[in-house]
Amino acid sequence: MSSQLPATAPANASSAPSARSTPTVPPKPRNHVRTAFIAAAFVAFTVLACTPGIGGVDIDLGAFVQHWRNGWNKFVQLLQPNFAFLPRTVGPMLETLQMAIVGAFAAALVSVPLTLWAAKPTNPSWPVRTFVRTVINVIRSIPDLVYASILVVMVGTGALPGVLTLFLFDIGIIVKLVSEAIDSSEHGYMEAGRAAGGSQLQINRLTALPQVMPLFANQWLYVLELNVRISAILGLVGAGGIGRLIEERRSFFRYDDVSAIILEILVVVIIIEVISNLLRRRLV
Amino acid sequence: MHSDAGRAATGSNPAAAPWHIELDNVSVTYPNGTRGLRNVSMSIAPGEIVSIVGLSGSGKSTLIRTINGLVAASEGTVHVGPHEITSISGSALRRARGGIGMIFQGFNLAERTSVMDNVLVGRFAYTPWYRSLFGLHTQADRDLALRALDSVGMLEKVWSRAGALSGGQKQRVAIARALTQEPQVMLADEPVASLDPPTAHAVMADLQGINAERHLTVLVNIHMIDLARQYTTRMIGLRAGEIVYDGPTADATDAVFEEIYDRPIQARDTLGDDPVDAASLGEHP
Amino acid sequence: MSAPTTTARQPAAHTATPEAPARPSRGRQTIITVIVGAIILAAASGLRIDWTDLGRVPAQVVHYLQLMFGPPNWEKLPRALEETWRSISMAWVGAIICVVISIPLGMLAAHGIGPAWLRFVLRGLFAVIRAVPEVIIALLLLAVTGLTPFTGALALGIAGIGTQGKWVYETIESVQDGSAEAVRAAGGSTAEVARWALWPAAKASLLSFALYRFEINIRTSAVLGLIGAGGIGSMLSNYTNYRQWDTVGMLLIVVVLATMLMDTISGAIRRRIMEGAKPRGMERSS
Repeated sequence: MSSQLPATAPANASSAPSARSTPTVPPKPRNHVRTAFIAAAFVAFTVLACTPGIGGVDIDLGAFVQHWRNGWNKFVQLLQPNFAFLPRTVGPMLETLQMAIVGAFAAALVSVPLTLWAAKPTNPSWPVRTFVRTVINVIRSIPDLVYASILVVMVGTGALPGVLTLFLFDIGIIVKLVSEAIDSSEHGYMEAGRAAGGSQLQINRLTALPQVMPLFANQWLYVLELNVRISAILGLVGAGGIGRLIEERRSFFRYDDVSAIILEILVVVIIIEVISNLLRRRLV
Repeated sequence: MHSDAGRAATGSNPAAAPWHIELDNVSVTYPNGTRGLRNVSMSIAPGEIVSIVGLSGSGKSTLIRTINGLVAASEGTVHVGPHEITSISGSALRRARGGIGMIFQGFNLAERTSVMDNVLVGRFAYTPWYRSLFGLHTQADRDLALRALDSVGMLEKVWSRAGALSGGQKQRVAIARALTQEPQVMLADEPVASLDPPTAHAVMADLQGINAERHLTVLVNIHMIDLARQYTTRMIGLRAGEIVYDGPTADATDAVFEEIYDRPIQARDTLGDDPVDAASLGEHP
Repeated sequence: MSAPTTTARQPAAHTATPEAPARPSRGRQTIITVIVGAIILAAASGLRIDWTDLGRVPAQVVHYLQLMFGPPNWEKLPRALEETWRSISMAWVGAIICVVISIPLGMLAAHGIGPAWLRFVLRGLFAVIRAVPEVIIALLLLAVTGLTPFTGALALGIAGIGTQGKWVYETIESVQDGSAEAVRAAGGSTAEVARWALWPAAKASLLSFALYRFEINIRTSAVLGLIGAGGIGSMLSNYTNYRQWDTVGMLLIVVVLATMLMDTISGAIRRRIMEGAKPRGMERSS
């Protein structure tokens, strides 16, 4: 009975003045066993990971040094970018940016209902929530380039498989991060909406959505940045963009062209990041 | 009675009669086994203004939330006006909640949204889902929202972000939100606990005014003795989920409060910043 | 009766709707919306995609999903598991390389530890590595050194330095509070500050980030496989090229399950590490 009442006035037991004798040292916590166990697990895992016989990584520094010598001239070529090649990159680079924007936009549209379904405060029904979360986790566990290489076979080479890949990749990130952020924030206004006789749809649409919009905007900009980087490589497997050109120049052993393209990607990525940071400061 | 509910659901009848509240042997047990309420029975007449007094954890919040169904009663029945809250759910419950306004200790505003959109939350129960989906409000709803804001003196803040307001302003917006429902009953859960003393008095005076002029049944959770005495006529004392006092506020002596709180009255049980109030406190030994 | 600050705000039932103040102009917001919309439209129309193709896509996807999963071919499962282990090994070794390099570099790049010029150089290096897609760094390294799981791991290690180094210096800077000052005040050198003030405070976060790097590498190692570094990605790429869809379906299931499993294990350990770090004493859970 009285346990339901919060303790209001119990005095703090530790307020008694301590005696001025030799201090009794409390026993030092012993974590040796645990520490040893963790260290052993770490070493065992690493050793297994480095055992080629069972499929681990063969750490063969000798071969590495030798290969490196063979590859030295390629490395030198890389250090001398051929900027004369840049005009040819404009078209593919534009395609890369377009793919990034369209993929992010499509994902932004679809992410809103999916996120509200995946977050606890906006979707009290746990079967639906668990289903959406599981689908999102499956989508997230397949790497981007794997999507691209399979989609290229499914729908043909070009920008379409690239955009679809970015779309899937972005959905996974936005829904996961934003739904987790919604889960961990305060939602008093939801109780007010419920008390006023609102349905979950009304509460989500008219109060929760405006409330979490900055979270969305932040992630949308983030995936746009990621998309520029990713769409630069999707061409490696035929999914459009500037990656196609990298693959082509590499197969011709024109590493001077490759490094010019990489520098261009670097500049574009940085510009996009600066723009998105400006927008972010505006929106959030 | 039933025609009352019908008219309330259209939201076009501000002069509807207030509702009575009837709890019959209500108990609440939370999923973790905690007993929130034990066999609570009470009857509140239409148009009464009642304070519910008790320490935090005494079941005040649970009691007020069983009245609009935010907390489901494990046993017993709750009647509010024509609705039997304990037997309805889904859209019927939402319609019933439409007639019951509620304000909260933490204001519960959507802070990033404008005051106007927050106040329009009060029209949820009367708005079809497709209108909500596209954010379309009728002119009548907007007018109701503006009138409610005007009546609490917050009209000039209508386009501000709710998060930019002070605590007292937020609570007034929350009152406007509840008034926009055109409710028959007003529930208030510790409405002044987060406010400074002058603002607390202002908000309590607003609730009193709502009761007197709009003729609403008003139920206020409060733990400040002086505020309960000053602004309400009847008092219900709760201790450990049980009703231990129910009577006119005028009869509630300090001894009664000590009985409810199960300890001597302390300084924090009174607001004591109001000159009128300080005087009235002084009369008690 | 009421408090002195209460003005004459009697909540009276008005019959006429009061005049609301003018709604603030939303001009800037409209302009931004229009610009963003125009950019998206331009991007969509500029792409050489026959948008009518898009209608075909669902049928196409369903067709291939049927080929892959109706039912998947489990014959090659033992090899798939071995290749998965190879990818995980690559990711693990890559994470160790990355963490071993980025912790000292990241510490040196934090404010108040290394000299300013070094901080500048290191942060620039991190930024450059971050800006280049990981796969491209791997591709260059693979092109120079040949294709083996070891070079794959090395590529993962180097490509991760950009982000990992940034996390390290941000973490170090976030824990530079009183304890660092206390060690300095007691006459500690920079190395002693790092060892006795910064490392204990940052240890849990850095460990957690290290595990997180492993999780990232799991995904990236599959990608490196696609471009020839071995592991599950190489197998996936081969069977996609052979058009053996039922085996591809099996491989996808293995990738998804292995990734989710590693995520779950690593995530659980990370949570334990961060929870253990909070009480900062003998009151450890378990």
